[in-house]
Amino acid sequence: MTRAPSWPAAGILALTAVAVLAACGSAIATSGTMGRTVLTVFAAASLADALAATESYRSATDTTIVLSTDSSTTLRTQIEQGAAADAFLAADTANPDTLAAAGLVDGDVVPFAGTLLAIVVPSANPAGIASPFDLARPGIKVVAAGARVPISSYAMTLLENLATLPGAPAGFVAGYAANVVSHEDNVRAALAKVELGEADAAIVYASDAAASSAVRTIAISAQANVVATYAAVVPTTAVAPAAGHAFIKWLAGPDGQAALARFGFEPAP
Amino acid sequence: MTRRLILISAAGILAIFLALPVATLLGRAVGSGGLVAAVGSPAVLAALSLSLATTAASLCLIVLFGTPLAFVLARRRFRGSGLVETVVDLPLVLPPSVAGLALLLVFGRRGLLGGALDAFGITIPFTALAVILAQVFVAAPFYVRAARAGIAGVPRDLEDAARADGASEAGVFRHVMVPLALPALGAGLVMSWARSLGEFGATILFAGNFAGRTQTLPLVVYAELGSADLEAAIAAATVLVLAAVGVLVAVRLARRGRAVDLASAG
Repeated sequence: MTRAPSWPAAGILALTAVAVLAACGSAIATSGTMGRTVLTVFAAASLADALAATESYRSATDTTIVLSTDSSTTLRTQIEQGAAADAFLAADTANPDTLAAAGLVDGDVVPFAGTLLAIVVPSANPAGIASPFDLARPGIKVVAAGARVPISSYAMTLLENLATLPGAPAGFVAGYAANVVSHEDNVRAALAKVELGEADAAIVYASDAAASSAVRTIAISAQANVVATYAAVVPTTAVAPAAGHAFIKWLAGPDGQAALARFGFEPAP
Repeated sequence: MTRRLILISAAGILAIFLALPVATLLGRAVGSGGLVAAVGSPAVLAALSLSLATTAASLCLIVLFGTPLAFVLARRRFRGSGLVETVVDLPLVLPPSVAGLALLLVFGRRGLLGGALDAFGITIPFTALAVILAQVFVAAPFYVRAARAGIAGVPRDLEDAARADGASEAGVFRHVMVPLALPALGAGLVMSWARSLGEFGATILFAGNFAGRTQTLPLVVYAELGSADLEAAIAAATVLVLAAVGVLVAVRLARRGRAVDLASAG
């Protein structure tokens, strides 16, 4: 039984709408910072801590970094759908290469960092995991990342390497696969499930393991371990491509490498 | 005349804003022809059957425990009933990610009850049971609210008349209250089902994401996007849109069919 609104009421409604829009507009405008360069960086989740600690770059270049972290593949999909990123820092070379092949990249694919893989368990290690081979023991709960998340292809190489080592249990890779209870969206989500103690183990990047105080790492022999290569590009969707190129150059240079090294990253292989 | 134009265009802008994304999604799904292929894909089919099974289980739990709660809230005034109503309403306004985290803190292996459950060999996270618990947590309020309003709307006179004619309390409940409150119960149930089907945030935090085990349709949308498979994501999303539209149509039909005002039940 609602009556049609009277016209003065409609006028007030319209005025209110205009006032609200104006307020929203000014709020959005002032949230940007005057005169500073705003650099939008899409980065693999595993880079979150290292990039949060780039004050030296930001203050030296008067840049505000807007950071979006997720699985490199999710970020690539977002860029393919037109998301504006001035720099895309992936945990692999495949995702930047795919963008480049689609003509969505301005300039080159720049490898800028590497990291070994690590097996993490909760500090209390409730499942009593002592060696990488225990990952295939029945009853262990392993969290992994989704099949298309970069860590998963590195992890598969690692598992295959481990399976060739002396003492490897028969059907090691299949045993590991049978223990996976969840495919998390990105490597940080997998790490979080181990930190919470919900999962017994996960394969993550050594840099992630170094960043967490709630997990322990299980030693992986150097001959089996895998180095992940991180590569960066400036997508054609960039709003400030020059700033994107400058940032990637800095990351690949001595200062950027030193900043990354503090978080357990190594030079690109 | 201009004011009328302003009103209509302001109203139209929001209506279009709400309609356009869903219409575009459906258009993409139909236009690309990917819908037919992807609906037949194992990931989408597995998620569909898991979604149907878990939401069915959730609905059973919600009716089994929600109906008595709705009855108590509708018919008994007691100290703290306002608090209980607030607690029941809370999941409606909580972000689902908060619900997932909170469930983890209770039912997780290191959670409040997780240790005791572990002693019995029961681990909830990463299982279909976790999916169901997440759905019950977020969806039960829809049913309880609707059922409470429906039961409260049954005239006491009719119940008293039935009692005067010798009906037992159980008979009054079965033959007077339930039939009269049925449209409200049905509408609440349908809304509850829709919310269960769409549940995402609590599920991915609490139950994880494993195809065939905990990966429901909304998780497929997210996971396929992460796998750069936009067509599969759109297909799963389309199934959810069609289910949601079906629910709203069902609620409208139920509302038209009975004189009971279900608007007050929302």
